[in-house]
Amino acid sequence: MLYIIFYFQVHQPFRINKYKVFDINESVAYFDEELNRFVFNKVSEKCYLPANALFKELIETFEGQFKISYSITGTFIEQAKAYRPDVYDSFLDLVKTGGVELLNETYYHSLASIFDLEEFIEQVEEHAELIKKEFGFIPTVFRNTELIYFDKLSDLLLSNFPQIDTILIEGADKILRGDSPLYARISYNHGHLLLLKHYKLSDDIAFRFSDRNWEEYPLTAERYVSWIKDLTLMEKEGRNLYLNLFMDYETFGEHQWKESGIFDFIKRVIELLLKEKNIKFLWPSEVKSTLNYKPKTLSVPNPTSWADTERDLSAWLSNPLQWNAMKTCYELLKKAKEKGRKDLITLLKKLTTSDHFYYMCIKYFQDGDVHKYFSPYDSPEEVYRYYIAILTDIEERLEE
Amino acid sequence: MRVLMLTWEYPPFIVGGLGIACYGLFKALAEKGVKIYMIMPTKEKVFFEISSPWEADYPVAKKWDKKQIKPVPLKFYQFHYLVSEGAYATLVTKHLEKIQEFPVFTHKKVKKIPDEILKRLDFIMNQGNDLLAKVKFYTKHVLEVSQNLDFDLIHTHDWLTYPAGLILKDLTSRPLISHIHATEFDRAIGYGHPIIHEIEYLGLNYADKVITVSNYTAEVIKKHYKVPSEKIKVIYNAFTTFTEIPKKYKKFKEPVVLFLGRLTPQKGPKLFLEIAKRIIQQYGKKVRFLIAGAGDMERELMLEAASFGIGTQIMFTGFLTRKEVEEALSISDIVVMPSVSEPFGIVALEAMYFGCALIISKQSGVSEIIKNAYKVDFWDIDKMVNYVVDLLENPDKLKEMQFKAEEEVKTIKWSDRAEDIVKVYQELIS
Repeated sequence: MLYIIFYFQVHQPFRINKYKVFDINESVAYFDEELNRFVFNKVSEKCYLPANALFKELIETFEGQFKISYSITGTFIEQAKAYRPDVYDSFLDLVKTGGVELLNETYYHSLASIFDLEEFIEQVEEHAELIKKEFGFIPTVFRNTELIYFDKLSDLLLSNFPQIDTILIEGADKILRGDSPLYARISYNHGHLLLLKHYKLSDDIAFRFSDRNWEEYPLTAERYVSWIKDLTLMEKEGRNLYLNLFMDYETFGEHQWKESGIFDFIKRVIELLLKEKNIKFLWPSEVKSTLNYKPKTLSVPNPTSWADTERDLSAWLSNPLQWNAMKTCYELLKKAKEKGRKDLITLLKKLTTSDHFYYMCIKYFQDGDVHKYFSPYDSPEEVYRYYIAILTDIEERLEE
Repeated sequence: MRVLMLTWEYPPFIVGGLGIACYGLFKALAEKGVKIYMIMPTKEKVFFEISSPWEADYPVAKKWDKKQIKPVPLKFYQFHYLVSEGAYATLVTKHLEKIQEFPVFTHKKVKKIPDEILKRLDFIMNQGNDLLAKVKFYTKHVLEVSQNLDFDLIHTHDWLTYPAGLILKDLTSRPLISHIHATEFDRAIGYGHPIIHEIEYLGLNYADKVITVSNYTAEVIKKHYKVPSEKIKVIYNAFTTFTEIPKKYKKFKEPVVLFLGRLTPQKGPKLFLEIAKRIIQQYGKKVRFLIAGAGDMERELMLEAASFGIGTQIMFTGFLTRKEVEEALSISDIVVMPSVSEPFGIVALEAMYFGCALIISKQSGVSEIIKNAYKVDFWDIDKMVNYVVDLLENPDKLKEMQFKAEEEVKTIKWSDRAEDIVKVYQELIS
């Protein structure tokens, strides 16, 4: 049997304002309300609303056979409630269909797992509480920001979050070393089941679908489904295969425009797959109960992620700007906690969101292009200036 | 007295200090009754007339017939920094045939420019470099716009305008003043673009008078361009601020040490960073550093500053508007100007006006005229660090220094400079 696990990342950061040195002590408008609202509205129209409608329709049509999972960040839910209650409601409706599993991650979509483990635990707790409060759902599957994973993370989750039994990770070549991402694995401490993203088939949809220079362009649903069916040929001993298709939710309608035919494509893919006898959709939490073999252990000593071609932390932590900004943010957060400054703690937590550091990335070639595409600022230097000015203001307020 | 002013920069179009210097100077000249026709690299065939001080704030664009085209102030004009097609390989001398005859005028004090020099100028402006093409463009623009203007002398500012000045001098026999605010040696820290050097050489040597902004620069042009001493007149810059009564704000609990200037090697921002790093090592967290300005070196500097891992202690502002420049000075306690080669350095005067203590490099023109500042060789980082730390550790000393600087700078005025320049004008046309 080949199981297909769809997981979508739903996230919006609180982008920072063009905050200048001269604004220090004058203004506390750290976040660009107008820009955040603008982006949220744009993505709502292009992606959230039509994609939710499509998946809801598919779940209802196929009565329990079609399943998907989402990881929805705390910052997204805050913005949805503030800017677009209709989008918030549409997610509630979608979850109510019963075809959706929700995952646990850090509330702020941060890199706390790298910098501040106490803060990491706090943010995971905050997120679990939020998901329970908003959707009445208790997640048992974890995914870290941008699929960042390393052995110690599993230890940490094991000792603090016993309900978590499965973690989604990137199926990076360097950790698989030639093995297939289609088999579930077990963490080095045997504490968690690990599901590996099939980056080739995921990125065919997420990145390449509307790329006219791609040799497979235009990709048809039939062709894509035939690739998936081909995967089943490799297994000769009857072990179950798990095809993990993980991507940003914005793939639908935002990164790949509606005009590219992405909605019709995904709908058709799902319809075709559901006709196959030995292919089924699954939630990540169901993997452990369908396993018909003993999974091999997988050790990941160094952090991997799904970002950029390096698939490591370099998207957020490859240059001194990013290091200094992030380090300083966590230092101030620690200080704010010591002083019990609740007002500043929330602000600093919003500043831990990984996107801020992504915008500060200075890498060349293709990845640089991707960073530029996602960044609302003109240059990494520009966002660094604002970010440091904001931290300075908070630093000054901490002394009050 | 009517002066044709050729300049590449004027507020609000400012790249460096030249525009601000021209503004201060032109305004003061207008106060002395000098009528200024200013030609800038504008897209439209216009000049700007400044005959009263208020017009210096909003120069009004006029066409060749001196009719004001609209009440359009300077800031609405597009600048032709783009080179149009076919701009290469056309000679300025050919272009001259197309435009009307200039009124010929003989002046015994004005020495003729040899023909081969003009040919040479025409030749070197065709060397295919983008910037040179723009200079040629500007030269043609000046020739066209100025043909119906009546003026007593030509006053050019820096090499970009020298070719136009030389050709115009040859055509009209009006005396030419080449004002030099910065040489290619300063910008390049050593030898720079050979063609720019050549244009500077020609522009200075074939002018009737050369004005330098300091002895420092006078020595440079004497040494490298062999300009005879008797041709050179040193007239220092002064400063202009928009804030009438300077204020001091305390934005941070800690004192602020400021670098203000373009982020280019000439201004020594890397040295400033090194100074900051050493001070932080010695003096710890009790001080903040502000690097204010934009430029090619921003990324390099930022990466280095961030790699010290000192959080928010070194801040960058990016490009500052004039208003923000003054705000930066208002919130700073100490200004360090570690320029490697600075013909003048108006920023030092502005810093004094805003009551900042000053540490400046000896390799600057401004160090020749001010007393209340620490003057250090630009490479002597240890000494600069010691001075800053000493001031930080002795608040009374810092206050005294700030007060003295504020007092001293009050005596430095554009009107005095304008008086000296008017004298130069009178000598040339009498």
